Amino acid sequence: MRYDSITEAIGNTPLVRIDPAVHGLAHIDLYAKLEMMNPFGSVKDRAAWNMAGPHLAAAARDGSQVVELSSGNTAKALAVIAGMHGLGFKSVTNRMRVPEIKDLLLLLGAEIEELPGQSECLDPTATDDPLTLFHRKLSEPGSAYLHTDQYFNQRNVEAHRTGTGPEIVKDLGGRAPDWFVACVGTAGSSTGVAQALRGHDPQVRVVGLVAEKSDFIPGIRSIDEAHEVGLFDPGTYDTVEAVAADDAIEGMLTLNRRCGILAGPTSGAAYFGAVRRLREADAALTERQSAVFIVCDRVESYLSYVRRRRPDLFGAPQRSAGPADLSEAEIRKAPAVGVADAQAWLATGRPLVVDLRSPYAFAALHIDGSVNIVDEVFGELLRGGLPFSRSRPVLLACPVGEKSARYAALLGRMGHPDVRSLAGGIIAWRDAGAPLVRD
Amino acid sequence: MGGQPLYLEPRLGPRLRSLLTAADVLHGLTGALGSPLNVVVPDQIAENLGEFRAVYAAHHLAGQVFLAHKANRSHALLRRLAGTDAGVDVASLGELQHALGAGFTPDRIVATGPKNPEFLWLAARTGVTVGVDSRAELDQLAALVRPHALPPATVLLRLSGFEASGVRVLSRPSRFGTPVRELAALLDAVEGHAGAVELAGVAYHLDTTSVAEKATALEGCLAALEECRRRGLRPRAVDIGGGYGVDYLADGGQWDRYTSELTAAALGTRPPLAWGGHGYGLRNDSGTLRGALGLYPGHRPVAGARYLGELLARPAATAGGRSLATLLLEHLYDLYTEPGRALLDQCGLTLAKVLEVREPGGEAPLMVRLALTAGDMALEQHGVLMDPVLVPGDGGDAALGGAAPRTTDAAGTTGAASAPPATGDPVAVHLFGSLCLESDMVTRRTVFLPRRPAPGDLLAFANTAGYAMDFHATGAQLQPLARTAAVWQEAGGWRWCLDDQYWPTTPSKGLK
Repeated sequence: MRYDSITEAIGNTPLVRIDPAVHGLAHIDLYAKLEMMNPFGSVKDRAAWNMAGPHLAAAARDGSQVVELSSGNTAKALAVIAGMHGLGFKSVTNRMRVPEIKDLLLLLGAEIEELPGQSECLDPTATDDPLTLFHRKLSEPGSAYLHTDQYFNQRNVEAHRTGTGPEIVKDLGGRAPDWFVACVGTAGSSTGVAQALRGHDPQVRVVGLVAEKSDFIPGIRSIDEAHEVGLFDPGTYDTVEAVAADDAIEGMLTLNRRCGILAGPTSGAAYFGAVRRLREADAALTERQSAVFIVCDRVESYLSYVRRRRPDLFGAPQRSAGPADLSEAEIRKAPAVGVADAQAWLATGRPLVVDLRSPYAFAALHIDGSVNIVDEVFGELLRGGLPFSRSRPVLLACPVGEKSARYAALLGRMGHPDVRSLAGGIIAWRDAGAPLVRD
Repeated sequence: MGGQPLYLEPRLGPRLRSLLTAADVLHGLTGALGSPLNVVVPDQIAENLGEFRAVYAAHHLAGQVFLAHKANRSHALLRRLAGTDAGVDVASLGELQHALGAGFTPDRIVATGPKNPEFLWLAARTGVTVGVDSRAELDQLAALVRPHALPPATVLLRLSGFEASGVRVLSRPSRFGTPVRELAALLDAVEGHAGAVELAGVAYHLDTTSVAEKATALEGCLAALEECRRRGLRPRAVDIGGGYGVDYLADGGQWDRYTSELTAAALGTRPPLAWGGHGYGLRNDSGTLRGALGLYPGHRPVAGARYLGELLARPAATAGGRSLATLLLEHLYDLYTEPGRALLDQCGLTLAKVLEVREPGGEAPLMVRLALTAGDMALEQHGVLMDPVLVPGDGGDAALGGAAPRTTDAAGTTGAASAPPATGDPVAVHLFGSLCLESDMVTRRTVFLPRRPAPGDLLAFANTAGYAMDFHATGAQLQPLARTAAVWQEAGGWRWCLDDQYWPTTPSKGLK
């Protein structure tokens, strides 16, 4: 397989059969269309290339910037395509809630503009929502933008009608599947594939999946939001069903762990929604049927999304000697010293003063002569043993004397003979009028 | 109207719930004081303050919670708050006088908003902290100090136009605050006015429900304060304003259902949900939904003190993942907050008497005329959709909880002789005010009541103390303005007095 440009690698993605032992359907062969295997990582590569491709030469001549309202994969593909052709790319969105994608886009050179949140004090006479303002800016005379307009652009649908859909038919030996299941984002892939499949066999049943209204699944709209999409036509789908975020993650885990398909939560929603719908049909079947769902993108970009909802999946093993292991009684018994006594001790006993706050706060104001070891780093240091000599007394300081008490107790347990916590912390120190310096 | 009734039940705390079931108390009050009537619950504001204080305590943060006075002008609420350790944020000369008169000492007051010379003078004279909106206002304040022999004025510099790193967050244009890129010139001015003004810190107030935007602003303030310290100034506080929101509705499912139906109505796939097909900002553009829903997010589980907690727990983008609260604490800054709506959550309700129930005929909703104007109860102006609670005139129980089983209402009413008997079935109504203006609708939405109202019944609009009670009330039409009564629980019942008669010593428990 030799290509002259990475964009030639878009499309012709594998169709992989899901092991019946995993999905448990007796009469239905379930296939995953692995759109995650596209070169920029998602199903959106097709639409982005099909929408932008024909205009790139003109855009390069006019010095236009490629602009799209996208929170993720379309932006990713367009950023790469724009960059390859010497163009800038800007994404405007109010849906970008996945930090890894945001960082990746910045890495790819995209400019991101986030729309502001809703006003707390509504002004019902206000006529300009930020999106309207954005569209007005795009249509200003003399503006140099290539707006791919994925929610309304028929070339988004076309990419799938002429690409994704026919590929599925070819890989199924010239037959359309009995079922096609897809999540609804821009509605481009579901609409385009449905058109292609129905062209082969009008009996294909198309299941559209949306997110539960109160849930957020990246790349999927809720049913209300779907109505805002110009490409969305309820007539395309035999049924439109909702999937909850927790179920999407469960589906994703099944694909990841049992099928070896490292797909993200959107694909998990497609798998979960497909199996839920097909299980019902399967019970009534006697002959064999086939079903296809779309695997839109890869899991790597969604780790923080999954971590927020399922911290249990990331449970790190307990480690020893952490400040969290101390009992409240131990912490209470930790030696502490008030501001006046601490000042006297500093003058006579020469304790090492360790300030546990962040470097920014330390740089701003600190006790003269102290060293700064941020609490998290200090905790890590202690796992390896005492970081200073037993012969040197230590005064620990934090904002209010809470963290320092914890670490003083821990150091005591580790065998240090003279560690004390500054009672009331740097705040008490300041309030007592004791000197703080910045140097 | 076809289909199931669409309820939007108000979220009721124990105090409002108890008050709404005391129908005799409410009818006694409107009997004595007329309709419309505002009822405030001063003890609730102290409890709400406690929730904010708990968030401060959880992060070991010192500082002050200032009530945004403009959200409600009640004497009782302000005086009750004066009896706690809270502060008040005043935005006019009158509010400042009111706060001082209610017992707030100057160290517990901040003056914000656009200011005239009299307001600035009294603020500087009494020594309240002044939130300075612009360079010009700083100069104006400094110019007052020496000729009038005032003490140095304590100032917070209100900043705006914060930039996020990496991602540009578009912001709604605001007329308030000094753009942060002009900070250097502003600090030059502060230094130039040394002796006349003293810097307490910096402030922002963003009109947004987005935690991310507020976090960006708070980080921007920390950077600005570092610049102050670098210049040798001694700032102590960050004032992060308000906008923490209120969760108005009891049931998120009802809200989801309602807004979905509103979408369907805008697309024409179901009958309209509001008078004249009003779509609350949504419209049908050849089958595609356009526009934006101009409604307050009625169901907001993360609101008030919880919202503040979420903001403070957020990791700062620029400081290695430490939370904003930790950064504030480590930098030794006090936190100032100015909640208005959130501090007044569950602090009051507005009562209106049903005057007339008209049957337009056919399937059309009943037209219910109330003894109030839309300005007296302005939930609609703030985009808050919430059902009123029906308090029957015959002394029966309030019809709480629209969708809950209703067992006490089957007998109908006997109190209102001229009206047809009220039935136990849900009814759709349109609520009109007492002005003969087509625009004077108490709510444009078709409201579902658990049973037919009758003249003499009361409709109670819950949770109106934050902005919705008297913020829009006007005497222009010579209609009676709502009076305000303060109520409190004592010896198992409700006691009341006129709003201006209430002091923290008023309840007998306060005198013991």
